[in-house]
Amino acid sequence: MADVSELLGDVTEDADAVFLFSPSGSYYDRYADLDTDLDLVVVGPENSVGADTFVELPLEFDNVRERIRFGIEGAMEQGLVEDGDVVVCAVSMFEDSIDTVTRARASDSMHSGVYDLFANSRADPGVIRDVFDVAIELGQKGQKGKPVGALFVVGDAGKVMNKSRPLSYNPFEKSHVHVGDPIVNVMLKEFSRLDGAFVISDAGKIVSAYRYLEPSAEGVDIPKGLGARHMAAGAITRETNATAIVLSESDGLVRAFKGGELVLELDPEEY
Amino acid sequence: MRLLQVDFSVLLRDQFQFILALLILVVGGVAGHVIGRLNRRLLTAAGVPEAVERTPFERTAQSLGTDTVSLVSRLSSWFIYGVVVLIALNVAELLNARLFWNGVLTFIPDLFIAILVFIVGFVVADKAELVVGERLRSVKLPEVGVIPRLVKYTIVYLAALVALGQLGVAVLALLILLGAYAFAIILFGAVALRDLLRSSAAGVYLLLNQPYGIGDEVRVGEDRGIVQEVDVFVTRIENDGEEYIIPNSRVFEQGVVRIRN
Repeated sequence: MADVSELLGDVTEDADAVFLFSPSGSYYDRYADLDTDLDLVVVGPENSVGADTFVELPLEFDNVRERIRFGIEGAMEQGLVEDGDVVVCAVSMFEDSIDTVTRARASDSMHSGVYDLFANSRADPGVIRDVFDVAIELGQKGQKGKPVGALFVVGDAGKVMNKSRPLSYNPFEKSHVHVGDPIVNVMLKEFSRLDGAFVISDAGKIVSAYRYLEPSAEGVDIPKGLGARHMAAGAITRETNATAIVLSESDGLVRAFKGGELVLELDPEEY
Repeated sequence: MRLLQVDFSVLLRDQFQFILALLILVVGGVAGHVIGRLNRRLLTAAGVPEAVERTPFERTAQSLGTDTVSLVSRLSSWFIYGVVVLIALNVAELLNARLFWNGVLTFIPDLFIAILVFIVGFVVADKAELVVGERLRSVKLPEVGVIPRLVKYTIVYLAALVALGQLGVAVLALLILLGAYAFAIILFGAVALRDLLRSSAAGVYLLLNQPYGIGDEVRVGEDRGIVQEVDVFVTRIENDGEEYIIPNSRVFEQGVVRIRN
């Protein structure tokens, strides 16, 4: 009779790296003392345990699969693991503490540009995350129960402003609000009923609402079936170094565009 | 107190003085206990336990089996007990060396305040060290650890100065040291932070009045481009892959040309 831990040993056998997702301090210490040649990588929203190798998780993914994929992609981006490496992931699925161990293989096909979207955008990663939070929240609740659409153009604001024109008076004129400020989410939700795009600077300042984007849409390749809002988003990111985050009014999905291409598609209901 | 004695010594016979003293002792004891409890309630309601959490002072107190709140409330109780005992002894006329005890009576409140100031100073210093340390945690520079400790010892020094002053100890030399320290800080601030202060003063004007905004094409001195960001200290202007980060003080010195076409 083999006991359970022996049978489950397969999961951790010949792994190349161990990923701890948001571990508590004492949990991390137990692993840090382990002297093997395994790479120990901490993945989480912030490096609270002071680990040497750390991958930032910009969104609190509820879906464990997405969380692991994102962590591995970030690690590949940083060169911590390579294509074909076996990664053992310790994550929390049901409770706050780590309760699940799974085995995954890093592969190049995982590369979707999501990590790149946060880490290598012009705007601060925190700003992009805050905008995602607003878009996701807006997608979940809508405006007064009705589904709304919204378009946020983040980063490279000077250029974006020169490639767009105002549809009406800018409600954010001479104001100094930044995304992530507590009251701003409410403001953005209120203004999302206006037509046009929000322009947000690299540091997160809301430069304008009500902008009509007028880049040339020539050569922009986005999936067929998406509307004018997505086309505008794709086109503006092709002409500038901005990142566009779109909440679709028709299907309720949040999509991110960079360099004229769709890089991320999220369902707000999953967060 | 002497008033009491004058009024009552006519009415009361010798034996009653002891009863009166006993009564004062009992009433004072109860009052001291009640005030101690009241203080503890007040301090707890004011959120003191949360505020002093994790400070070294609180930790030391806890290792001695107590905590800051009960220490302070017990201190106030003891103070009242002490005063009551003295009053009772006085009423019972057990003490003849009135002058000596009068001196002690005036000294006790001073001592009480001095101890209180010292405890509060210590707790505030510990807390300030924690808060400043947390603020600076994102700065990954080992030398930055000096700053929280500097803040802590400055506050402890000030508290000690106030406490000693309350007790009537000569603190002139310490005051001179404090003056030199304050002067050094001001001088350092004026010299080292001069450019930052000038830029931030200009930045406040730029943010309030917004003579140019994000997206405007401007020229500051030789640098021409599109404004990408204006914050308190710098203005970022970008032009064909070159980003100029211009201190706001320079924007004021050289003026801005807004380019309209």
